[in-house]
Amino acid sequence: MTTIAVPTNPAVRRVPLARLTRIELLKLTSTRLPYGLLAASLLLTGLFTVIEAARAGTSGGPAPLASYAGQAAITAGGVWSLILAAVLGATVSSGEFRYRTATLTYLAVPGRGRVLAAKAAAGAVAGALFGVTGYLVTLGITLGFVAGKGDSVAIGAGTLTDWGLGHLVGAALLGAIGVAVGSLVRSQLAAMIGIFAWMVIAESLIGGLFNAARPYLPYTAATALGGVPIGTSSFGPGRGAENVAALPFAAGTALLLAIALGGLLLAARTTVRRDIG
Amino acid sequence: MAHIQIQGLVKRYGPVTAVDNLSFQVQPGTVTGFLGPNGAGKTTTLRMLLGLVTPDAGSATINGRRYAEMAEPLHQVGAVLEASFHPGRTARAHLRIQALSAEADPSRADDVLSLVGLADAADRRVGGFSLGMRQRLGLATALLADPKLLILDEPANGLDPEGIRWLRDLLRGFAAEGGTVLVSTHMLAEVAQTIDSAVIVHHGRLVVQAPVAELTADGTDLETAFFHLTRESVS
Repeated sequence: MTTIAVPTNPAVRRVPLARLTRIELLKLTSTRLPYGLLAASLLLTGLFTVIEAARAGTSGGPAPLASYAGQAAITAGGVWSLILAAVLGATVSSGEFRYRTATLTYLAVPGRGRVLAAKAAAGAVAGALFGVTGYLVTLGITLGFVAGKGDSVAIGAGTLTDWGLGHLVGAALLGAIGVAVGSLVRSQLAAMIGIFAWMVIAESLIGGLFNAARPYLPYTAATALGGVPIGTSSFGPGRGAENVAALPFAAGTALLLAIALGGLLLAARTTVRRDIG
Repeated sequence: MAHIQIQGLVKRYGPVTAVDNLSFQVQPGTVTGFLGPNGAGKTTTLRMLLGLVTPDAGSATINGRRYAEMAEPLHQVGAVLEASFHPGRTARAHLRIQALSAEADPSRADDVLSLVGLADAADRRVGGFSLGMRQRLGLATALLADPKLLILDEPANGLDPEGIRWLRDLLRGFAAEGGTVLVSTHMLAEVAQTIDSAVIVHHGRLVVQAPVAELTADGTDLETAFFHLTRESVS
């Protein structure tokens, strides 16, 4: 039997997404900003954890350090790594417009959606690093204070591991959300300020007005993944909240994933398609 | 060898028509000057050719394909559109990233840095570069994946006389090895000795496409011919 080869248009050979992600990570690590943000994350995490640990058991402070609630509340210092993971994600995408390097990026890889996906992946990887290191700092300080006061660790190893995983997942997804925000806003400064304002101010205001909505706010959901209790800490997004439970791990992860994907899809359909002039 | 085809290209920005039904071709193995005053639509045309700006009408292809459809575009086309780089990145780091994008050997970064005379500045951050050095880095980026077509937008900006001579030799050498060059500029004196043919545009429209020898056949220089033709196109 004779077969006839049907001529087809040769498919465009695409750079694999893993390589594109590696390129984005190489871009990140070849500048000083991510290192500065990581240093700021660790510094703020350490500072706020120490302050909370010192205030534990005092009037207006977290519960006593010997208690489960007190030790859990002190881990709220780790939220700074989550905030800065999102800020870092925003710089991954908005930096291309700030420094006008988008031209070179799209000349190398014309598929803008794939570039955005790689940036989101890179933002998630870098965000995860922020989350894990922040958690290790807050955990180390907490354990140090507990040991220093001669108390015993009230939280089980399994729970502490879960919170570490929560910091990793929460910060990774906030990193990807940051990439989406940076792509939509394009102005690096506006994106960074916007993320700070949302996380530090807007969620508190919205949560204050609509208590039941608190668990569904993205930053609050991310902190809940990391074990930050809603309503029991004197610092954090859930401060002052009452009678509201954090989302379960899977639901919180799904919520953040949906927000990240939704934001990235919106950016891919709108701002990312704009002319690069 | 690369062939560029621009056909009926239109781009409007609100009430302004930046490129108005523009058509021309660039033949393989030639150095073609894309000439016109500031605001003539040269940069917009090049950006449409390279898939960065979406045309309102018409088509722009390289070897019959739109840029976005090209396999391994950096191996086929080297482009310098603006001397913009991340200021905090070193020249070598920038080129290594580009090499990874192009799936080129990372050692090419040092090769092209030497080629453009920036070997000594390889580990300096680009933020401290002069405009001329950034132009050279742009050319190094364009040459990284050994393309057969160069598309350059005002590459002589910021170059000193020695740099302009170097650029001229580079482009002639590139064409002598079978490469194709489309170079946009409004600095006619700098390219007059370099280009084989000229595409002259004014107000987004084609004024003329012709070999330089034809434009200067009556003994006038390219600059005089340019001013005569663009004035005629307005009247």
